[in-house]
Amino acid sequence: MKNLIVKDLHVSVEDRTILNGVDLTVNEGEVHALMGPNGNGKSTLLAAIMGDPSYRVDSGSITYGEKDILSMPVNERSKEGIFLGMQYPQEIPGITNSDFLRAAMNVRREKPVSLFEFIKQMEKTINDLEMSSDLAHRFLNEGFSGGEKKRNEIVQLEMLKPSLAMLDEIDSGLDVDAIKIVADALNKTAQENNMAMIIVSHYERFLELMKPQFTHVLVNGKIDLSGGPDLYDRIDKQGYDWIYSELNIEPEKQEEKTQTRVSIGTCAVKDTMKGNIG
Amino acid sequence: MKINNGDTLSFSDGFSVYEIDEQGDMSFSIDSENTCNVFIRIIDASDIDIKGKFKNGDSTILFWNDSVSDVKVTEEYEVSEGCSLNLSYGECNSASMERKLSVDLSGNGSSSNVSTATLTGRNKKYDIEIKNEGIDTHGDMKNYAVVLEKGRLMVNAVGRIAKGAKKSTSHQVSRALSFDKGQSTTILPQLLIDENDVQASHAMSIGKVNEKQLYYLMSRGLDIKECTMLMSLGYLLPIVDQIADEELKDTMKNELERKIMEVCSM
Repeated sequence: MKNLIVKDLHVSVEDRTILNGVDLTVNEGEVHALMGPNGNGKSTLLAAIMGDPSYRVDSGSITYGEKDILSMPVNERSKEGIFLGMQYPQEIPGITNSDFLRAAMNVRREKPVSLFEFIKQMEKTINDLEMSSDLAHRFLNEGFSGGEKKRNEIVQLEMLKPSLAMLDEIDSGLDVDAIKIVADALNKTAQENNMAMIIVSHYERFLELMKPQFTHVLVNGKIDLSGGPDLYDRIDKQGYDWIYSELNIEPEKQEEKTQTRVSIGTCAVKDTMKGNIG
Repeated sequence: MKINNGDTLSFSDGFSVYEIDEQGDMSFSIDSENTCNVFIRIIDASDIDIKGKFKNGDSTILFWNDSVSDVKVTEEYEVSEGCSLNLSYGECNSASMERKLSVDLSGNGSSSNVSTATLTGRNKKYDIEIKNEGIDTHGDMKNYAVVLEKGRLMVNAVGRIAKGAKKSTSHQVSRALSFDKGQSTTILPQLLIDENDVQASHAMSIGKVNEKQLYYLMSRGLDIKECTMLMSLGYLLPIVDQIADEELKDTMKNELERKIMEVCSM
């Protein structure tokens, strides 16, 4: 069984602690929704599992299929079957989508994929995601619209067939139709490969389509509340405020942000009225 | 065909292949009156001195450096009225190179394209000058380079338009990409213009592969070497489009691909 087990994970960025002891278990084939107010560490958790060099793991452990993920470089984690659909996919001029994908497929196979097989799969995937047929020959994400970039993440996912897909706000920037297309592609891939998913999303529409069995709420760098589908439904209707009172915790003050705030012109007037500037 | 010390070559019409394999110093000259496409492979050399006159038609020469020893090349070319000289250089070997190249567009209506593709972890120093002497002459220079660990690239790119060379143009683009620490890249673009009725431009960029791009590529399973290879191919291959002749174009493309894969898998 390829299960992901995160234990007491502490992560920081530039000496600022973001995750403060996260525990999470995702079993093979399970779909988990990860929710929480902005700036509470959802993206950080996914990035730490993938191995983003800008985040530092201070303590705790992450294992996947009983292997210690934290000791592996990013590319090895990918080869273990972990995939992160990124919130802000990079643009890489000079490398075409097809050259990149072929190389990425070949590193996880004994025999390189034949050109014929590759083109067949690529065409099918582009079709599934309803993208334009010249995608293969365009440079990786270069000049793509926000929505195209997100769909291209799913093209990569469908071609690479990971066993654990983490999706970081993959639905933001997508229109209503595109959300449906992406959800269908994900559900189909998940079914075919018994793929587990961790989904970060702010929108119930996407979660309704993905049907996560588990919901976790990440507040102040910790998962203090977990539940079933009813939990994301309640958050969608009532927001996050009730969680603070129910768990008897205070939202972390973001003093730093208000101190460094620079306001000019009309914004300053608005801020003064709101009492942000004394 | 092997080029010997003291040869005077007059390239024949069409495609031909030459080799330079000489351990001592050598010099030869080119006296061409044909439209020719020439591939010259440097297998081994030390000091090479080349003087050339292109008196008719359009000539294309691709120099591919495979030398295992350090090489120093001095090239002086003169292009006659209405002729064009297209020069391409592939520098992906594991030895140093010091090149002094000067192209003299002396004939009215003559033109020259110079392009270099460099992938190196050694010293490469190029002084390249295209001189517009005649009226309505056109010089175009492109230098693309990927500089690896311990590599040193120095490019002195000069476009010089002489007084009286009316309606002339001089353009140059240089770009370099670096991956590792401990490398150095210097590009000095210069336009020396002594005439009013001309057009000239230069563009230059020196960039380091950014960590976020590398992380993105690696998150799909590629290791650093595979990323270097893909990015080098993407960076250097467009230089192939500088070559008009299909056969030479393919030669350059294959040599580049082969060498990039070889260098990046080390």
